[in-house]
Amino acid sequence: MGDSMQGQVKIESLTKIYHTRQRRGLFKSTHKQVEALKDVSLEIRPGEIFGLLGPNGAGKTTLIKCLTTLLLPTRGEAWVNGYRLTKDDNLIRASTGCMLMGDRGLYWKLTGRENLAFFGALYHLSPADRRRRADEIIERLSLGDLADRSVETYSSGQKMKLAFAKALINDAPLLILDEPTNTLDLPSARELRAVVRALNQTGKTVIYTTHIMAEAETMCDRVAIIDRGEVLALGTVPELKASLGREEVIRFEGVISSQASQAVHNLPGVIRAAQTAVNGHTQLTVVVHDQRALLPRLIETLTAHDALVQKIVPEEVTLEDVFIARTGRTLAEDTRVK
Amino acid sequence: MTAIGKPTFNQSLSAALAETRLRLLNISRYPGQLAMEIIIPIVFAAMPMLLGQATAGANAEANFQANTGTANYVAFLLIGSNVFTIVSHAFWIIAYWLRFEQETGTLEAVYLTPTSSATLIGGLAIYSAIRGLTASLLAYVIGCIIFQVNPFQGDVLLALVFILVGLIPLYGVAMLFGALVLKVKESNALVGLMQWVVSFLMGIFFPVAVLPPFVRAIALLFPPTWMVNGVRSALLGVGYFFETWYLDMAVLWAFLLFAPLFSFWVFHRVEQGVRRNEGMGEF
Repeated sequence: MGDSMQGQVKIESLTKIYHTRQRRGLFKSTHKQVEALKDVSLEIRPGEIFGLLGPNGAGKTTLIKCLTTLLLPTRGEAWVNGYRLTKDDNLIRASTGCMLMGDRGLYWKLTGRENLAFFGALYHLSPADRRRRADEIIERLSLGDLADRSVETYSSGQKMKLAFAKALINDAPLLILDEPTNTLDLPSARELRAVVRALNQTGKTVIYTTHIMAEAETMCDRVAIIDRGEVLALGTVPELKASLGREEVIRFEGVISSQASQAVHNLPGVIRAAQTAVNGHTQLTVVVHDQRALLPRLIETLTAHDALVQKIVPEEVTLEDVFIARTGRTLAEDTRVK
Repeated sequence: MTAIGKPTFNQSLSAALAETRLRLLNISRYPGQLAMEIIIPIVFAAMPMLLGQATAGANAEANFQANTGTANYVAFLLIGSNVFTIVSHAFWIIAYWLRFEQETGTLEAVYLTPTSSATLIGGLAIYSAIRGLTASLLAYVIGCIIFQVNPFQGDVLLALVFILVGLIPLYGVAMLFGALVLKVKESNALVGLMQWVVSFLMGIFFPVAVLPPFVRAIALLFPPTWMVNGVRSALLGVGYFFETWYLDMAVLWAFLLFAPLFSFWVFHRVEQGVRRNEGMGEF
């Protein structure tokens, strides 16, 4: 493997089909195939922070699990750090640092330091290197006060931090972080993102999955929007936003029925309309070509359908709008195949 | 960055010992566990011991001698229950490792590292052997003291060799059992069933000679049967299956060469099957 391939990921037509049983009562079940990834092809460049953005159930974790060799793809091929997925799985694992499943990958009866030393051994670090590396990470992530306490006494945010620390133990050129800020409070999430950026500055490639579009916008050099196992869009954040062309976004907040949303969606000039519940009221995101011309008719239609609109916000295009424009749904929706 | 390439023997050994250490650290945080593990085989052996005394009365020793080759039924039963403790540990720990770690998420975490499952199971086997041997040796000595028989009669060293040589094929069979747990995603019922079947087949309370011929043939395909009979023969002189200790030992060595390789092959195939579909972490 050449150094130039460190941190590079190339995916060609990766497909993953799960075989499941759909239970029907006590004794009956039927066989079912779920295509979790459909011919996914993309390339992640060395040294970039690459975002995988999509709602729950979009296929992000399946893709990550394939890249980390936990799952074997049904079809297709990928190269991680220059190693072939279907042939060099051990080398891929040795050259990748992973944070999957949040705090579930930790031994709760052990201390943070003991966890790091254990995983260091599984990455074949010498005892001296394990200790040195664990000390470095503990210092870098300000885990000093916690390091010698058993993990079961940690808060959920502290456990997430330790899970992140575990991903750094082998000092790999490629970091794969699956929703790393889940369950973190805002300051801790900000701190973790700063560490990820700093690690990226040292040349590490980062694959960062999230369903939080603001996180993807601020963190990632390039983003792939993934939904129902397919990559819908790929590019830098400005490129993705620009891909909406002349499209503009207006958000309505209030009490809006689904019939009202549907009526808006059916109006000429409306490209997409997606409804979501936010803090006890409804948010309707409408993608249009010309908001000035269309706004009166939008309000009129909503009012005609008994909608109580409390707020109208014309907004800048966000990644979520890109997602809505391509799928007609919001990122908050769970698209898992039932 | 960590060295990338095929791990050396020392690196694999170090990873296996880290797994052993992890388990020892974990169990050290449950201090009452070892005490319970010492009590169980004594109570387990005491039940048939007392039943024998109740049914045969003063003739218990003579009747036992006539059917088993030793009058020391106390040591015979204690050896059976304590070798079973080691066997039970082997099955339980490998099944529990797979199932419990699937549920807690740590199984996926260790599968993300370059350490192979064979190395991890090697580390587990060392831990299980340490825990099982410690508990069973202590239970045997304490049981002998309670029931007033000499624990160290006969060839103690040879008995230990039978146990140590038998451990490797035993963990081979346990790995096969682990593959089954991985496949059916169930451990408690399987371990429960296995414990009864194994205790029956290895003859923890009786010599396998009393089993019907067909069942006896199955029992002899199972390494713990040879372990327990080897220990009883070395300590109590009940008689080896092939008359001499070295022929019985040779059979255990044959198991030792075959069982781990076959079991690893089966485990690897099941593991690949799981990775092809739902993945190691699904439970």
